[in-house]
Amino acid sequence: MSHIRIDVDDLFFGYEKENDILKGISFHARESESVGIIGENGAGKSTLLKLLVGLYGQYRGCIRIEDIPVEKSTLSVIRSRIGYVFQDSESQLFMNTVYEDIAFAPRNYGLPEQEVEKRVERALKMTGAERLKEKQIYKLSGGEKKLAAIATVLSMTPDILLMDEPSGALDPQNRRNLIRILNSFGHLKVIASHDLDMVLDTCQRAVLMYRGRIVKDGPAEEILTDRELLEAHGLELPLCLQGRSGGLRKT
Amino acid sequence: MKGIDGAVYEIHGMAALAARDKWINRIHPLVKLLLTLGYIGAVVSFSRYDIIGLIGLAVYPVAGFLLGDLSLKEGCRRMRFVLPLVCLTGLPNLFLDRRQVLFWGVKVGAGLFSMLTLAGKGVLTVFASYILIATTSLDKLCYALRLLHVPRALVTQFMLTYRYVTVLLEEAGRMVQAYTLRAPGQKGIRFKVWGSLTGLLLLRGMDRAENVYQSMLLRGWGTDYGYQKGRVPLRVWDILYFLFWAGIIAVFSLCPVLPILGDLIGGILI
Repeated sequence: MSHIRIDVDDLFFGYEKENDILKGISFHARESESVGIIGENGAGKSTLLKLLVGLYGQYRGCIRIEDIPVEKSTLSVIRSRIGYVFQDSESQLFMNTVYEDIAFAPRNYGLPEQEVEKRVERALKMTGAERLKEKQIYKLSGGEKKLAAIATVLSMTPDILLMDEPSGALDPQNRRNLIRILNSFGHLKVIASHDLDMVLDTCQRAVLMYRGRIVKDGPAEEILTDRELLEAHGLELPLCLQGRSGGLRKT
Repeated sequence: MKGIDGAVYEIHGMAALAARDKWINRIHPLVKLLLTLGYIGAVVSFSRYDIIGLIGLAVYPVAGFLLGDLSLKEGCRRMRFVLPLVCLTGLPNLFLDRRQVLFWGVKVGAGLFSMLTLAGKGVLTVFASYILIATTSLDKLCYALRLLHVPRALVTQFMLTYRYVTVLLEEAGRMVQAYTLRAPGQKGIRFKVWGSLTGLLLLRGMDRAENVYQSMLLRGWGTDYGYQKGRVPLRVWDILYFLFWAGIIAVFSLCPVLPILGDLIGGILI
């Protein structure tokens, strides 16, 4: 039985000395949870996600993934279990074709070509992007790039999915498709976003960050309907709840 | 604007060409790399007056274009900046080499021959390299370089530079587009803003290149191409292809094939 979890304790991090962006973050997430990290621009959401996969090294505090501390010597193990979808899909896709890009990770992990092909097919099916298989990356639209970027990490069959602003630049149909993909991913997922509607649709739990600190951690429905709390920290009620006296929409 | 976009498009176009499923594209990358290196070696080792011998070696690029289903016109267009340069390298010989030689009973300046030979050598080597990159993807080329024990750091540099050029061009395209839209009627970019644009381009390019690199790291990239091993097996066909072309190149380099053929045909006619 796997014990997929993320443990972050008393985490401090800054790009410059004496100017911490994250100031004493502590949060824990367990298997099959879906956590939405919300906050205004510059709250430290993306930085936190990048620290979880060890993209920044000089932090203070403790980050553990499945009880493994995130440090230089453990990065390859940790990264093989986490799928990270970048905010900017263009940065995530660097091979010539969608197939090559999705196959990049399984090949790097030394899987036989037959298994690589299976994984690519499965990732394409999960994202509903089968038609893009042989397409060249530079010919993809914004929404297609996002789907391909998600497929590139799904082919790693990750235990944990981290997504940074996944709904940015997506049209309504692609956004709905994205929500479907996220809801079908059964493992632990952490989504950093200020698209509160999407967080409401995909996460049971929300973590509100403000200027490098966690100000509230609890059920998404509770936090995302608290107008005062959101407005005090630079956010607004989700669009689907604005203009109503209260209560959640039925999805 | 068009220029930058065009350059990005051409880079992607070359990658698409290399990714095609043609017979020559499936030949092992090491075989193609070794043949190209050997061919270039053979071409440059020809005497500077031996233009007839050099003509025989044109068989390799000609066959490459045919087997790879490559368009000569497109090849010339893609190499349009390099071809004139290599053709012009021999131009000084026309003035420096003032000896006279007899050619079919007519006195001709030796400089003309050496100029034509140098230009010929340049064109043949450029086309051989073009055929290699048009039929072999960069990943496979890097893998072949590693098989030749080219240092890992050097191969990594080579691969990342290629990726970085695209990223840099895309960023440059966006910046120029943003500038043009806010400077209607202006031709080009004003000299005054060149400094800030270049600085910004470098910073943005580095930022994006770092993101791409991070994305590669997160998907298990270990700065090596070992993963290709199972994917590009060396087949009997590859060895036969290598032996065939190595033989042809050796024969055309070591024997005066065209004069012999000429004598033979001449003898038959007489």
